[in-house]
Amino acid sequence: MDLVLQLLVNGVINGSHYALLGIGFGIIFGPTRITHFAYGPIFAVGAYGCWASVAWLGLPVPAAALAGVLAAAGVGALSYLWLYRPFERRGSSHLVVLIASLGLFITLENLIGIVFGTDTKVVPGLSPDIFLWGPVVVTSIQLWQVAALAGIALALFAFLRRSRHGKALMAMTDNGEMAQIIGIDTVRVSLTAFAVGSAVAAVPAILILLKEGATPHMGFIAVFMAFVAVIVGGIGSFRGAIIGGYAVGIVENIGMWKLPTEWQSTIAFVVLFLILLFKPSGLFGRRVR
Amino acid sequence: MDYLLHILVMVAIYAILAGSFNLLIGFSGLFALSHAAFFGVGAYTTAILTTGYGLPFPWPLLVGIGLAAIVGLAIGLPALRVGGEYLVIITLALQIIAVAIMLNWTSLTGGTQGIGGVPRIRIAGVPLDTAGRFLPLAVGVAALSLWAAWRLGASPFGRALRAMRENEAAAQAVGKNVVAMKLIVFAASAGIASVAGGLYAHYIAFVSAVSFTIETTIYILAMVILGGTGNLLGSVLGAAILVVLPELLKFVDLPPDIADKLRQVMYGVILIVMLRLRPEGLLPEHDARRARVPPGLGADGLGPLAPPAAADGAVTVEGRDLMKSFGGIVAVRDFSIDLRRGRIVGLIGPNGAGKTTAFNLLTGFLRPNAGTVRFRGSTVSGRAPHDIVRAGMARSFQDLKLFRRMTVLDNVRVALPRQKGDGLLHVYFLPWVVRAEERENLGRAMAVLRFVGLEGQAGELAENLSYAEEKLLVIARLLATGAEVLLFDEPLSGLDPGTMEGIFPIIRRLAEQGKTICIIEHNLDVIRGLCDWAVFLDEGRKIAEGTPEALIADPVLAERYFK
Repeated sequence: MDLVLQLLVNGVINGSHYALLGIGFGIIFGPTRITHFAYGPIFAVGAYGCWASVAWLGLPVPAAALAGVLAAAGVGALSYLWLYRPFERRGSSHLVVLIASLGLFITLENLIGIVFGTDTKVVPGLSPDIFLWGPVVVTSIQLWQVAALAGIALALFAFLRRSRHGKALMAMTDNGEMAQIIGIDTVRVSLTAFAVGSAVAAVPAILILLKEGATPHMGFIAVFMAFVAVIVGGIGSFRGAIIGGYAVGIVENIGMWKLPTEWQSTIAFVVLFLILLFKPSGLFGRRVR
Repeated sequence: MDYLLHILVMVAIYAILAGSFNLLIGFSGLFALSHAAFFGVGAYTTAILTTGYGLPFPWPLLVGIGLAAIVGLAIGLPALRVGGEYLVIITLALQIIAVAIMLNWTSLTGGTQGIGGVPRIRIAGVPLDTAGRFLPLAVGVAALSLWAAWRLGASPFGRALRAMRENEAAAQAVGKNVVAMKLIVFAASAGIASVAGGLYAHYIAFVSAVSFTIETTIYILAMVILGGTGNLLGSVLGAAILVVLPELLKFVDLPPDIADKLRQVMYGVILIVMLRLRPEGLLPEHDARRARVPPGLGADGLGPLAPPAAADGAVTVEGRDLMKSFGGIVAVRDFSIDLRRGRIVGLIGPNGAGKTTAFNLLTGFLRPNAGTVRFRGSTVSGRAPHDIVRAGMARSFQDLKLFRRMTVLDNVRVALPRQKGDGLLHVYFLPWVVRAEERENLGRAMAVLRFVGLEGQAGELAENLSYAEEKLLVIARLLATGAEVLLFDEPLSGLDPGTMEGIFPIIRRLAEQGKTICIIEHNLDVIRGLCDWAVFLDEGRKIAEGTPEALIADPVLAERYFK
């Protein structure tokens, strides 16, 4: 029973991580409909930006984290302006944009590897507090992961509901064509979406850096889990991405109750496969097609 | 020298992979990211069966084909329900699962250690243990595999695949079973890719999971995009370039780790640059395919596509009490209609009246919530759209849905009924039957094009036609299905009166030859000039029916129509 409790807690923690990834991805995918694979390496840019600020510039961790967030937001915005926007202007098909995105994915990931090397980068001198709650063990970084989701979700919620930009973004997510007709500057909204979404992605990336370190490869699983959270929850639904993230995190960890650890990541994919097979619109999404 | 031969062997192996991937991406428009997994299935099958069970070449290769085809079918399964991004992510998931299995099912796959000591192939007692000795076999097998891919792509089945890529609904509307086609092409592509895996295992004598990850899929993808989607020769060229080019990095003094990453950066940049500057690839799909049609072909009329039948007004289609609602909104209710042989029925009504929904219900594109459709006395409602087309009831689309990146001739040819070349059994084992059928079908397609007056544009791509020509091609494609009942969704909208006058006699002649015709039309002059009978729909209900003159003269209907 204790094991199940611990797994459940781990599930909630991982779920918060996935939910955050899903929100960031969803903010970009919702209005632009771009299957942004390069979200993965841009996630990694957040982590490496933070690491470099600590290791090379000697910044304190909070300031370095901010630098990481800004770096990711910058690269995200540039990826839209330099890569996706020209394809959009030419009216390229989704498929073409998707392949280009894969191209950027593999380019960025390997550039990170060339610049930083493939060894795991950790922030030195960091020892997270460990809390014992009865039979359950958690670390301060894990608590940060949960808190980050709560904080960012609330902030984003306010942004999407209250601010002009946020409302425009929601309108475009709802119906891009209509948004354009009523005079929303869709290019600007897309740019905002890329900047905000990438900034959001940097937060879980930095927490992973503090928790277990950064590798150039870390982005692949991140973009994948983000995608899974969005699809499980249902495309176009902010709430869905959060619930999707938690669903995947909890299922994945509970699965470990009976399965050996090395199969953990496979569980999420099997869940995804089954959901797409039987309920392609996701648990909370609108109808597909 | 041996180094050069080694490169050639790798080109042969990757040409197989790029060619088979092209079948999915280029020909069928199915964007799957699991190709490296198929490659891996072939390699591991060979490694396991040779080292564990001592099975000699070529048996492991053949088993691998079968296994990969089954995996391909499994991946194709979700593709039946979802497309686009969903297919991408689900194939990616299966790619990851495949690698996880290779890494974690240690007792079978050797885990992270992989499987070493895969025996060399021996031919006449000679082990193929050098690149030079292996090369002829590799080239031979690659040629055979690419031939299989080419045969599939160039066949009527391949033409149907391209039609499906261009527009799935329209492919169904010309009688193609897109469900079966997707499964078959996934299985075929996976099977061919596994051949490359088998060769690779024998050649390198060692397999491990790192060779079959998503990076490999992207590598093969770059070959396909560089060479040209929909062109197999392009895939061979793409494979050759992308195998040779990274080798040049070896002449620069770099740490192997950095060189490997630079290689990947190169693939990524090539992908982006190609898509920006030349998205069709080095060898585009259509250069080699321009139709060359002997003059005078198809001058002998429509033949069996429009068998003379008595235009006797007998009822062929009965729609009864059809009802369809979306969510809470009822689009069509209590809709009954009779269509008669040799008669042209017009379906009129204001925008949003449910006319197109009525067509969708009649032709199986939507399932009615209530009511039945009977065609020649048997119930067709509930059957799949392609099935209804094959039974003899076909429709066109208001938004045309032409196969835009196919020639005018192919738009028509793909629609011809009961093609033996749509089955792979005939394509591979009875090619002469398919060849004879193709010759005959070329004539029939030209006859259809002559009938509508498009014979001069046969070799043109559909996307290059003028609007009026596009409308004619829609009629030609519908006609080519050979269906007895033809349902036209706004065949004349947006045309100038002169062009319209030219299309009138075409539709009228079809009715005279005994076709049952129904058209949706807004223009009352067209209804008056063309139709024998008109049905007025508003807010999902049939308000009235009668002769066009009677309906148009009715002031109540006129008010509804112009409100």
